Amino acid sequence: MTCEQLRDSYELYSLGLLEGEERHEVEAHLARNCAVCQKYFKDALAVNTLFLSQAQEVVPPSRLRRRVTSSVGREGAVWTWIAALAAACALIVALWLSLEKRTADGQLANARLTLQQTVAERDRLEQAFTFLNQPETRQVNFGQGQPAPPRGNIFLNPRIGVLLIASNLPALPAGKAYEMWVIPKGGTPRPAGLFQSGPQRTAMNILSGPVDSNVTVAVTVEPESGSPAPTSNVLFAAGF
Amino acid sequence: MLTRLIPVSLALALLQVGLRFKDDSDLAGRLKARDAGAMRELYDRYGRLVYSLILRMVRNSAAAEDLVQETFLRVWNRIQGFDAERGALGPWVLTVARNRAIDYMRSADGKMSAGALELDRLEHPGRFCDFEDRALSLDRARRLKDAFEKLTPHQKTVLELAYYEGLSQTEMAERMQQPLGTIKSWVRSALKVLREQLTEAAAV
Repeated sequence: MTCEQLRDSYELYSLGLLEGEERHEVEAHLARNCAVCQKYFKDALAVNTLFLSQAQEVVPPSRLRRRVTSSVGREGAVWTWIAALAAACALIVALWLSLEKRTADGQLANARLTLQQTVAERDRLEQAFTFLNQPETRQVNFGQGQPAPPRGNIFLNPRIGVLLIASNLPALPAGKAYEMWVIPKGGTPRPAGLFQSGPQRTAMNILSGPVDSNVTVAVTVEPESGSPAPTSNVLFAAGF
Repeated sequence: MLTRLIPVSLALALLQVGLRFKDDSDLAGRLKARDAGAMRELYDRYGRLVYSLILRMVRNSAAAEDLVQETFLRVWNRIQGFDAERGALGPWVLTVARNRAIDYMRSADGKMSAGALELDRLEHPGRFCDFEDRALSLDRARRLKDAFEKLTPHQKTVLELAYYEGLSQTEMAERMQQPLGTIKSWVRSALKVLREQLTEAAAV
């Protein structure tokens, strides 16, 4: 085909839409650097450009500019650093919140523990008050007349048990605890509870449940885990 | 139909075509020097045009954004083959944009391999140089629009299928259920009308 005969093919060729023999013909002409065909080709590119530029104008979203320009060069680096900084800040905030949460959780756990201790103490005091309030409760004090003795009172109620209130208790060696014993007349000592002294060297211990009215209540120092039978000298005792 | 797609703010698009292409040599030089600021300028100059074209073709804004990014990245990566003194960035950028959209549409249709290499070859930056000064003028853009309005519906349809959907004449024949010869006749006559109208402009 002559150059003129191919005149109508260049637009489709430059759009990549020319097929078969026609396409080969155009390529052959262009390969010869034919000036006429080169001009037709440029004209076709211009027509195509003018045509494509007439699509309905739509304003792209502003993020697209940032997205495109951040694909290359310095602006990209800036945004990368900003993103990294933001991520670091987010991490710090997350860690801080985590620590805060852990602190709050710890405080909450402490509060719960304190509340439990307070409730237990209240229950013990109520129990003790019950002992004191019952007419059949009997009281025996101990330690009177001794120079630096543990002192206190033991309350026995055959129906509800034994209440020990002691003060001036000696300091306990590490790993040791006070253990209360109920000793029936002519019988062997029965464990009646382990307890520790408080900061004022005072203590209170309660044995709940029915108990013989003719018993001796004694206290010894035993291992923290308790003993099935006394292993040390009696610290103090009171007989009923 | 292009008639309903002719932009309300056509003047802006035409200005982009007609006036800005002439000032591209400095911008192309800065792009070749890997000046990131030039990339921002390139986007400011052609971003809206490219986005409008691609959105017109793929009709999906999320895909259009991806393809716009691909377009500018491809230009950035291939700018070294562009002749900054003799080249016209606009026609090249628009061709790259159209090809990205065509590639996307063919891929969606399972026809990705068909013609992908051909598109790649046809958008070589070395091809987009030595345009005549008036080739991309505002006046010619107006004339092209006027000429398009004069086409028959069939002529308009085949041009739209070629430019915006990337269909070959064989594919148009299948789509429109017309003989291939008829399609070729419509395409050639339509292009001839456009060309003659533009030639008249050049002769003025």
